[in-house]
Amino acid sequence: MADLNEVPVPGPSAQVPPPPDQPGAVLTVQDLFKDFAGLRAVDNVSLQLRTGEILGLIGPNGSGKTTFINLITGLLPKSGGFVVIDQVDTTHFPAAKVARAGLARTFQTIRLFKELTCLENVEAGAVGMGVPRRQAEARAIGLLEEIGLADQAGKRAKSLTFAGQRRLEIARALAAHPKFLLLDEPAAGLNEEETAALLAFLKPLPAAKGIGILIVDHDMHLIMNLCDRIHVLNYGKTIAEGTPAEVRANPEVVGAYLGSAAR
Amino acid sequence: MNALQWLSRRSTPIILAAVLAVLVYFLWWLNDSYLEDVATNGCITLVMVMGFQLFMGNSGILNWSYVGYVGIGAFASAICSIEPDSKRLQMPVMYEALIGIHMPYWAALLVGAAVAALAAAIIGFPLARLSDMAGAIAQFALLVVFYTLLAQWQQVTNGPRTFTLGGTRSTTIWVALVVGVISIFVAYWFKESALGLRLRASREDRYAAASSGINVVATRYYGYIISAAVGGLAGGLFSHYILSITAKSFYLAELFLVLSMVIIGGSMSVTGAFAGCILITIARQGLRQGEANLTNSGFDVSGMTEIVLAVLMILFLMLRPNGIAAGWEVRWRLPGRRAARSDSKQRS
Repeated sequence: MADLNEVPVPGPSAQVPPPPDQPGAVLTVQDLFKDFAGLRAVDNVSLQLRTGEILGLIGPNGSGKTTFINLITGLLPKSGGFVVIDQVDTTHFPAAKVARAGLARTFQTIRLFKELTCLENVEAGAVGMGVPRRQAEARAIGLLEEIGLADQAGKRAKSLTFAGQRRLEIARALAAHPKFLLLDEPAAGLNEEETAALLAFLKPLPAAKGIGILIVDHDMHLIMNLCDRIHVLNYGKTIAEGTPAEVRANPEVVGAYLGSAAR
Repeated sequence: MNALQWLSRRSTPIILAAVLAVLVYFLWWLNDSYLEDVATNGCITLVMVMGFQLFMGNSGILNWSYVGYVGIGAFASAICSIEPDSKRLQMPVMYEALIGIHMPYWAALLVGAAVAALAAAIIGFPLARLSDMAGAIAQFALLVVFYTLLAQWQQVTNGPRTFTLGGTRSTTIWVALVVGVISIFVAYWFKESALGLRLRASREDRYAAASSGINVVATRYYGYIISAAVGGLAGGLFSHYILSITAKSFYLAELFLVLSMVIIGGSMSVTGAFAGCILITIARQGLRQGEANLTNSGFDVSGMTEIVLAVLMILFLMLRPNGIAAGWEVRWRLPGRRAARSDSKQRS
């Protein structure tokens, strides 16, 4: 079985870095650009995310993090560069096809299907990938149990607490059985206790589900304790990438973003 | 899953169908030709409402051209079912190929639905990409195109003259009831299908839906076609009951009626659309009666019915925009067991 996977894939694979030693998939972003009427919001950013790891994406407000996420998920057209998800070139895919290629996401401003029940919200995450309704329901019930919302299954999503809505959005993304999960400020608006619960929930996910997580957040405690590696943007440019310890010790990062708060 | 649970999960359309059957049977049992007419017309309108809710309720998009598809179904099925000799006599300018067609009533109904669906499939393809304002304007323009075509295409619809079916009414009260029940099941089945869930998700948040892998344009396109098919079926029932139709039967007045039913009842659930249809049908009869009585006693209040319905619709849009039902579905729950699904109303 393993040999079959070694067949070379045509297309942009020439530029794609060699497959990883360990089994799993890679999300590659190469030389990504985005111009908004003269403003270069994302400037030549490259990064790699493997299944099984958590990569943090940080930077000051307006540094291009959310634009970056909207670019690789296909919600915004790119000005240059390319994105490859598990050897599929998704650079010019619309959002729905990017999702089907294995990239699920949550939103900074929660975007739930408010009038649908919690169960239907999670089901829609699976049904959107082409899973039949019966199977999607079984999957959704399991996920609601995992995130502790099983008793709210029949409630409409809009009736959940803020923290509950954040969790439900993650469950909906996981229902797609993605290879990669993008979390856009999942801790925004959560209190300390809720953020701690989020950290405890996310930490074992990559190993348990075999996914890679890209997380954007301003909560440095969460980022530093959760991430294997951290990628730092400033004015749309990469200014550093490394382990939490390396990033925290980087004077440029401290100057641009962390200040003394991270210590 | 045992039999009771199975039944509980499918109880919504069963309850609605039972309510409809009891109402229709009661009106028939009263043995009054006027009430029988109300019941039959009500069932035909219900089929129209179910088809309208199927798209509007699940996609959140108002389909202005909907009654045009009802008209297409009405004319297409009538052309199929009228005897060739009768067609030649009444409509000498009709295309020879259409004159030759002849098939039984039930087959003509299905052809009417199929022609409407085909028209929606062809026309909807380029329009599906439009959204919001552009889409609404395009659908409204399409309604005008349908109306003009139905009113002017002499070789097909007999042009501005009345299109007469002749013979006896093929759509009896029982046929209308059976198709009404079928339309309830179709609307509910669609809503609960994977396609229906995708469409509802796109209604709630287009970007989140797309990011969940849902092709919003394709989903809307399929919903639009299925909705047109149900509308075409309603059109066939209508033409084989009224027996003489013109393009005007499928224009703004008809659209307004269906729209007021769905908005007042609540477009987001089959129960809401059903309730709106029943309540407005009853209210209209009462208003018509009052209008006639007042006019007879010297006060000319013709048009009162339409004005009252319009004001009612405006009030609902202002005060309760999701209608009476607001997304709620009637459901029979197993006693003593907390249902895992959709008990939002009970808790809140």
